[in-house]
Amino acid sequence: MIQLLGGACALGLYAAPLAALPTPAVAGAGLLPLLLAVTGLAGRWRRPVTVAACLFVAEYAAVRWLVGGPADVLGAAAVGLGLVVLLEAADLAGRTREAHIGAGVVAAQLARWIGLAALTLAAVVLGSGLAVGLASALPSASAPVLAAAGALGVVLLLAGIVVRAGRARSSVRDAASAAGDPFPGVR
Amino acid sequence: MTARVTPLALGLLAAAGWAAALAVLSARVELVLVGLGPLLALGALARRAPAPAVRVEHAVSADRILEGEHVTVTVTATADRPVALLEVLGPLPAGAVVAAGRRRAALRLRPGHPAGFTYEVAFPGRGVHDLGTIVFRARDRSGLRAWEGRCVMPHVLRVYPRPTPLRTLPRPVHPQASVGDYVSPALGEGIEPGDVRPFTAGDRIRQVNWRASLRLGTLHVTQRQRERNADVVIMLDTLAEVGVPPGTTLDHGVRAAASLATAYLARKDRVGLVSYGGVIDWVRPASGRVQYERLADALGRAGVIFTYVAKDLGVVPPRVLPPRALVVAVTPLLDRRFTRAALDLSARGFDLVALVVSPVEITRAALGPARSVALACRLWALERRAQLADLRRQGIPALPWDPAEPLDVALAGSGRRRPRLAIAG
Repeated sequence: MIQLLGGACALGLYAAPLAALPTPAVAGAGLLPLLLAVTGLAGRWRRPVTVAACLFVAEYAAVRWLVGGPADVLGAAAVGLGLVVLLEAADLAGRTREAHIGAGVVAAQLARWIGLAALTLAAVVLGSGLAVGLASALPSASAPVLAAAGALGVVLLLAGIVVRAGRARSSVRDAASAAGDPFPGVR
Repeated sequence: MTARVTPLALGLLAAAGWAAALAVLSARVELVLVGLGPLLALGALARRAPAPAVRVEHAVSADRILEGEHVTVTVTATADRPVALLEVLGPLPAGAVVAAGRRRAALRLRPGHPAGFTYEVAFPGRGVHDLGTIVFRARDRSGLRAWEGRCVMPHVLRVYPRPTPLRTLPRPVHPQASVGDYVSPALGEGIEPGDVRPFTAGDRIRQVNWRASLRLGTLHVTQRQRERNADVVIMLDTLAEVGVPPGTTLDHGVRAAASLATAYLARKDRVGLVSYGGVIDWVRPASGRVQYERLADALGRAGVIFTYVAKDLGVVPPRVLPPRALVVAVTPLLDRRFTRAALDLSARGFDLVALVVSPVEITRAALGPARSVALACRLWALERRAQLADLRRQGIPALPWDPAEPLDVALAGSGRRRPRLAIAG
């Protein structure tokens, strides 16, 4: 079921650029990430799905850049949410590979995604309001620099959080972790 | 437990970073919004989360089984606070296979509500296995942080070789003093009639053979043969083996040794074991059910430990190899050191029988069908026939056994007759 949901997300991510620019070139370009995503989900292999997610984003960016026009706020937020669901579905599929799945595992994941969707929607509404206010206050000449600095800052901040969380280990180092991944077969 | 950031977090970070970079390059605000979902998901890493106190326990349905049997492993997990996903990897020793269920589970834990799973493990081969280590990984609600740990609860499972019932056994030439199932050449108390002799003072009336007395005109009594047990020492060759587990020559030899031990113990004999290999291991001869457990335990552990050093049987205590014991040597005759040791025992007056496990068919099956393999196996079989003839010339009864055939077929060739009568002295 998780894989089907991931597959549905991959199809949605494939369809999103096509909806904006329905041409054979866009349809053909989207086939590679779709194939990677389906392969990763079917084989419960996480890495092709991550690559597919990045390719979906690149294709979506290219199409939006080519089409131009006003920003599609809700569509973009849906694409972002689709990426999260795709990546998490691939991850969960790998975790549950050849495993007995206990009651409530899938339901808890679905509830988390619904919560994340609500949070994303709230953040989009709030962010749009803030962006309108900031756009009128800031000089337009400094916008690219601010955008680049902001993007870099956010990515560095997140990388710092990830690295810090990775270092936050307990004082007792477990032999299982020292020996590598204790769960064979999870790729 | 050790905390880790899961690969999912790195995947989300890559997607968010990529979207942010493309947003700057393409100057499109949609890309910022595309990155918003992964960013919000990653935000869960910003707050500290203590490691959940996960307790994983397991129970194994048996601690001693026979080859080919199953045990049921039941794993139960509890936690002091909710765990969105607990991955558990149950124990599976090398050589064992999961017969039913799955040894891996993804569970959701709530405080006070234990969750668990069950699976069955089959053990096709003998051995001593540890089923005590369980590896688990608890993930937080976001799935971005995981705590790994292992629960070690020693649980030793002994898989004994499966004995086959035997109808024929090599008969010991020299019975011992204790009462048993063998008809001794010596006359005395017993059930089996032995000889008829004239009545002498002190003979009991119940021993009088009235039919012989009437025919011969004087009183005659029936003498009976004593029934005695024997000391049997099984000498297992652990110097070398061929084949693929659980069907190596040593595995077949161990099964044969277990079958012999079971059959001799059922006849009230005292049975011992000497594992002759890189390390010499032994079990002193004794009888009874406990002795079977000791022998099965030692046979379960038996393995080939490679060494160039030729061990001397002098290191074996005399109580392990009692005088006049029947020694059944179970060997594939792959190493000349074992042949020398067997000849040494024979020269020291032990009643020795060699059960020779044929490695030819096992090797042929392992190598697969090929003309060169078939030719080599034929030559090898001829060479082994010469080896067996050499052993017989040295006075050692050699019983060739192809493991594809029942062991009884090989033992039927032992052809030992009942001992001649002797006067009790």
